[in-house]
Amino acid sequence: MNLFAHLKTRGNLVITHEDIDRAHDRARVLAARSRGNWFSRFRLLWLLIGPGILVMLGENDGPSMLAYAATGAKFGIGFFLPFIVLTFVMAIVVQEMTVRLGAATQRGHAELIFERFGPFWGWFSMIDLGIGNFLTLITEFIAIRAGLGFFGVPPWAAVLSALALLYTALMTHRYWTWERITLAIAAFNLVFIPVALLTHPDWHSVGHAFASWQPLPRMDQDTLLIVLADIGATVTPWMLFFQQSATVDKGMTRRDVSFGRVDTALGAALAAAAALATVIATTPLFTHHMSAEHFQAAEFAQALRPLIGNIGASLFALGIVEAGMVACVTISLSSAYAFGEVAARPHSLNLPVRQGKAFYSVVFLLAVLAALIVLIPGLPLVYVVLVVNVIAVLAMPPALAFLFLLANDRELMGDVVSPTWANVLAAAVVVFLIAAGVMFGISVIAPHLFAAAPR
Amino acid sequence: MNAKQKRGTPLHPSDEELVLSSLEPGQLAEAKKQRIPRRSLRKSELLVLWFLRVYLLFMIVVVVYQAWSGTH
Repeated sequence: MNLFAHLKTRGNLVITHEDIDRAHDRARVLAARSRGNWFSRFRLLWLLIGPGILVMLGENDGPSMLAYAATGAKFGIGFFLPFIVLTFVMAIVVQEMTVRLGAATQRGHAELIFERFGPFWGWFSMIDLGIGNFLTLITEFIAIRAGLGFFGVPPWAAVLSALALLYTALMTHRYWTWERITLAIAAFNLVFIPVALLTHPDWHSVGHAFASWQPLPRMDQDTLLIVLADIGATVTPWMLFFQQSATVDKGMTRRDVSFGRVDTALGAALAAAAALATVIATTPLFTHHMSAEHFQAAEFAQALRPLIGNIGASLFALGIVEAGMVACVTISLSSAYAFGEVAARPHSLNLPVRQGKAFYSVVFLLAVLAALIVLIPGLPLVYVVLVVNVIAVLAMPPALAFLFLLANDRELMGDVVSPTWANVLAAAVVVFLIAAGVMFGISVIAPHLFAAAPR
Repeated sequence: MNAKQKRGTPLHPSDEELVLSSLEPGQLAEAKKQRIPRRSLRKSELLVLWFLRVYLLFMIVVVVYQAWSGTH
């Protein structure tokens, strides 16, 4: 039985401003679909991409780029290159389910958990999301502050400019306009590719690393921390909530699922390219035995300056600023969508401010609060950056359990219910994440077990 | 058909036509207010959810301990 089959457009129909805006976007999709040539097909892809690319490039955020930079500086080219690609494959497996869920139910992730499993489990997942999102948001402002600090911008001006950009992007009151502006900014994430090229990488070593996963790092607590940070840089709970809500807000339907998959895979490919470029870009620090133990974002740029010049270092710092800016927008929105869904308040980027006061207020209040925390002098912000990705990895298995249950709910999903292959891959991701978390836990509780391990 | 726009200017007939021809019934903001029926979780599902909850709490303690020992 499909739970949504009974909905009809008859009777006392209420049409909102949000519906009209979404209908304009959908009309273009339907027009492109009605034509059969290759150009229309390309136009359809152009119209339907967005949530997948944004979620993947959004997750290449401040702490993620810091994790990739630390990976390159600490381990150079080797095991972590193919490992990072593997984490993006996991991200595709997980995020594809949110596309199907959003398209099939037209509901956000938080709303589905609350309504289908009740408030008890709903609040658990909301608390996980709320804490994780807020800590991550703080780290985005740390990245923006550090990145702009490289150019001599004072901290207050850096966070103020980030808030101004957030305000500008949201005050378009149209999902489509917001999405295109944010996509244009997110494209700057690829700036790490020219930075990597400026380091004149050893392509033979890169090829060898992909072919053999060698050289392997030493198995100790530091390595496991980087492993967890790199996983947390790719798969996190906010991504599930954001992509499902954005899929619904964009107006995607079951017919658009295949394009949603392409969107997700394209986003993963772009984000993986930027992530790998960051590892390669900081590899000279490893080669020159420069300790990056307590580096923050801008310090990587400063350390790289003698090796790749002013332009390269400036591009690196700009990339960090972009990473923080885009994630600041997407993570705030993920919280606001979830809040609107749970509190049954209007929640759409197609809403005018008057009708979406609560929705827009949550976005700005969270952002302003995170920005203010970053401006408090003397706070140990570096610890927040280090643990935020680790917490994301640990919170992922419970979030995936709900995703798994929902994506296999035939009443909700109908013909887009999870196939067996998707379930096997999703289960493998959960087992992998739990295993990585447990290994990290053992390395903290009993570090001697890893200290003696051979290379 | 009695269509009206909520809290705003009167609905233009072309907008009504556009919405009805472009959106599926379940995509209308009003339709999304309909609640989805609750599903009871099986014992095995509850067991997995509780296991993962305990796992998360335990691991958070580990992370806090690691951060604390790192600062001392």
